[in-house]
Amino acid sequence: MSTQHLTMDQLLAVRDGDRSEPAFAEAHRHLGACPPCQQELDRLHQRTARLRSLATLAPVTDQFPAVRARLHWEASHSRRRKLASVGVAIAATLLLFVAGDHLISPPALDAEQQLETAMTRSQLLEQQLREWSSGSRVVDGQTAAVVIQLEDRIAALDRELSQSASREASERLPHELALWQQRVGLMNALVEVHVTRASNVDL
Amino acid sequence: MDGMTLPNADAVIARAKQGDPVALEALYRAYSGPAYNLARRICRTTEDAEDVLQETFFEVCRSIRNYRGDGSIWGWIRTVTSSKALMRLRRNKYRVTDDLHEDHAPGQNSSIALRMDLESALDQLTDTARAVVWLHDVEGFTHEEIGTQMGKTASFSKSQLSRAHQRLRLWLGEEAMT
Repeated sequence: MSTQHLTMDQLLAVRDGDRSEPAFAEAHRHLGACPPCQQELDRLHQRTARLRSLATLAPVTDQFPAVRARLHWEASHSRRRKLASVGVAIAATLLLFVAGDHLISPPALDAEQQLETAMTRSQLLEQQLREWSSGSRVVDGQTAAVVIQLEDRIAALDRELSQSASREASERLPHELALWQQRVGLMNALVEVHVTRASNVDL
Repeated sequence: MDGMTLPNADAVIARAKQGDPVALEALYRAYSGPAYNLARRICRTTEDAEDVLQETFFEVCRSIRNYRGDGSIWGWIRTVTSSKALMRLRRNKYRVTDDLHEDHAPGQNSSIALRMDLESALDQLTDTARAVVWLHDVEGFTHEEIGTQMGKTASFSKSQLSRAHQRLRLWLGEEAMT
């Protein structure tokens, strides 16, 4: 048996049962025959127990409101970025849709298919507007004026659409298609206004 | 600990993963106490510890979806907390020479027992040594985990712990071994 007392490294290895420590087995044997080292190990255990029983420190201020505010801020910015990119994608799609006849002369959807497409796009834009408006945002006066004008024109189109049922069947489809396509254009402009807060939308 | 501080932990975690604000707040209410205590034991000031607490729960709320449930939720939050607290230590450049300055307490080489209380003695340790003592001896992190979090090795953590205990033993006035 070594006559040298155990080092702190060895005592810690014994306390933690760390067999990877060199000479762990020898240190263990030494302890059995060395009362001072046994006493030192007891002190180490006691010190550790005292550390674990130190008073629990509590925060002075509640941090959750700040956490919540940061989460909210991050979510709103992320949504705004997402909507902006969706707006650009829709604008590009619409441009293609409107100019498509001239640019690529597609094998043309028939009028009913075009009407269905316009209605679907309009619904998509409505949904985006509802999500956008759910957060009770503050807008400046000019933006609010543009929004009101766009909404008035959409309301006027909706009135025309509701009266379209009285037309002759042959006139009805092209008329409704034209109205729905205008509605998509206006809805797109409305989304853009909300996304960019721009006040210079070309009416 | 999970069961004691957060009843229906599994259900709360599932809701938190869906972004339910009530569940996220429940997690904060259940674990902010131990998380703050850990942060405060590592950081020097209450301000730093409270910043760490906020950073920790901001991260927890954003990343709860990544929590796979392999270990306890407190084990996960505890790791986030210690990581943020150690990051805070690194950021506080005022103690950048930490490892070179190990003589906060007078007479550490003296045979005269100083008989500090444990809180004071802990406070006299360097930031790194104090963090290692707390993370290993109280929170139960392994030397490998501590080494990884500190960007060092397990041996570094072991050596810090050993030196810290030598100092604590001296400063607490425990009988010197001959």
